[in-house]
Amino acid sequence: MALVEIRNLSKSFSKGDEVISPLVDVDLDIHQGDFVSLMGPSGTGKSTLLNLISGIDQPEQGTIVVDGVEVTKLSRSKLADWRAANLGYIFQTHNLIPVLTAYENVELPILLLPLTAGERRRRVEIALEAVGLSDRADHYPWQMSGGQEQRVGIARAIVAHPKVVVADEPTGSLDTKTSDQIQVLLKRLNQELDITLVMVTHDSEAAAIASRQMILDNGKIIESIAEHANGASSEQHAQMVRGK
Amino acid sequence: MMFRLSSYVIKGIWRHRARTMLTVSGAAVAMFVFCFVGSVQEGLERLTSDEDAQRTLIVFQENRFCPTSSRLPEDYARRIAEIPGVKDVMPVQVWTNNCRASLDIVVFNGAPPKQLQTARKLELTSGNWGEFESRRDAAIVGENVATRRNLKKGDQFSIGDLDVQVAGVFTSPVPAEENLIYTGLEFLQYTRGLDSAGLVTQHEVHLTENADPDEVASAIDEALRAGPVATTTRRKGAFQTSTLSDLVDLIGFAHYLGYACVGLVLALVATTTVMAVQDRIKEHAVLQTLGVRPARVFRIVIAESLLLCFAGGILGTAVALAILNWGGLAIGAEGVTIAFRPSIQLAAVGLLVSASVGILAGIIPAVQAARTPIVTALRQP
Repeated sequence: MALVEIRNLSKSFSKGDEVISPLVDVDLDIHQGDFVSLMGPSGTGKSTLLNLISGIDQPEQGTIVVDGVEVTKLSRSKLADWRAANLGYIFQTHNLIPVLTAYENVELPILLLPLTAGERRRRVEIALEAVGLSDRADHYPWQMSGGQEQRVGIARAIVAHPKVVVADEPTGSLDTKTSDQIQVLLKRLNQELDITLVMVTHDSEAAAIASRQMILDNGKIIESIAEHANGASSEQHAQMVRGK
Repeated sequence: MMFRLSSYVIKGIWRHRARTMLTVSGAAVAMFVFCFVGSVQEGLERLTSDEDAQRTLIVFQENRFCPTSSRLPEDYARRIAEIPGVKDVMPVQVWTNNCRASLDIVVFNGAPPKQLQTARKLELTSGNWGEFESRRDAAIVGENVATRRNLKKGDQFSIGDLDVQVAGVFTSPVPAEENLIYTGLEFLQYTRGLDSAGLVTQHEVHLTENADPDEVASAIDEALRAGPVATTTRRKGAFQTSTLSDLVDLIGFAHYLGYACVGLVLALVATTTVMAVQDRIKEHAVLQTLGVRPARVFRIVIAESLLLCFAGGILGTAVALAILNWGGLAIGAEGVTIAFRPSIQLAAVGLLVSASVGILAGIIPAVQAARTPIVTALRQP
């Protein structure tokens, strides 16, 4: 049974008189330990799909079931509780709370869980260590580089031991070198900690590190070949998939 | 749970220090004025409604208001004492440096020292009754006057034609008493310029337990109608209200000033909270994405607004109470004074009002923070 089951999912927006439908009857299964990358042109609904899986947006129709919980039926408050315990979110622009230290930012999601202070401390220390920022625990976001901020964002996303981590263009605002480091980190977290990851990206290099690469176009998901067995570049590979 | 997020709330307030300090200062000034106005109102309320004001009668010359113009025969006391329901009569000669409304009014009350000691619950904090009784020009000074005029036992105090030796300083459970200076009756009667031998300003009548004050007052005026000077007898509270009628109207109007201060705090804190929320619409959306419930975001904003307002309330109330306590301030007219005194009730009202206003000011921004769609808020720059 899939960890995330998406069935007949549709979402549309009104833009003036025009109705845009980025997602039309989307079906998707994501299994425990999958690392899914979602690519596609701008406005094709990648982030919308991520937001729907996260429960911060509501579909017109369809269902999303995560580990047996139909998140599309939960109220706004119950969704918040569900996210606190089951979902990690990595933002493109980090979105750390500027007045909190790295430690406090990472601790924030688990403050909402019934954990003792000792257990919280242990989890935050492990999460910071996992992203290689133990020595920056007392630093504020403005005292860190973009890459370090994103690593704190990743630590914050995994600290609650969520069932799914979603990442909305996590390397989108980083330089190439830092972007590569974040990609390696995400891959390592997926492989070593068995974290299920769904990542939206415009970067085919970043998409290539995922075990499952998908493309969203015209409201539909097209899953590409898992490995680049033919030796094509990621961009060529994506073009091949789009051309199907 | 809210306590776990307290660090975030406090750091959130502190991130815009200048704005926070300005808001707290504004709230503090408004609450200071609110407490001051409240203190004046409390003082007036005490003058007109406490037991002493209700169970004591003042016999004054008919159609006279300023103490300098009321001149009653001293021996009226004997005739008043014969009226049923009267327990005791104390003749009082009043002298004041200013019959008009003033913030630095000095009021002398001359009365027989023995009677004064039994009729008033005065407690000497310095000096002794013996010296007050034995020296003709001795005076005991209320603590407020002593503070205001920097007087202490042994000092010589002169004002107008009066020249007294301070025999002691007293406190009283009736705050307005602490704005008075007591001398012996004869001393004031024979003061140069007053020319009041055998005359007094008023008679203070204490009633027996079951006596009806209004009936006794009518009986006194009736009994003295045939005398050389007609009288008007009223309860002390009614007498004081009538004497201070101009000030009572002014104080009634000042009541609205208190409400205006509350409105000012509300507007100030609400504006700051709205600005803080608008600055952080995206941040609140991030919190909700991380699993913070909308209701908790609502409470975070309310907590911020409450803390801002309460901090201002504590500061303003504390400063107001300190000044009221140590300033010895009073306002008076026609020889009657209203004491500005701090009270626990005033402090409680000040803090309660600031807390309530803090919550009220936060409601609309808190609803805005909690109900903004997360995705829309996350798209903000």
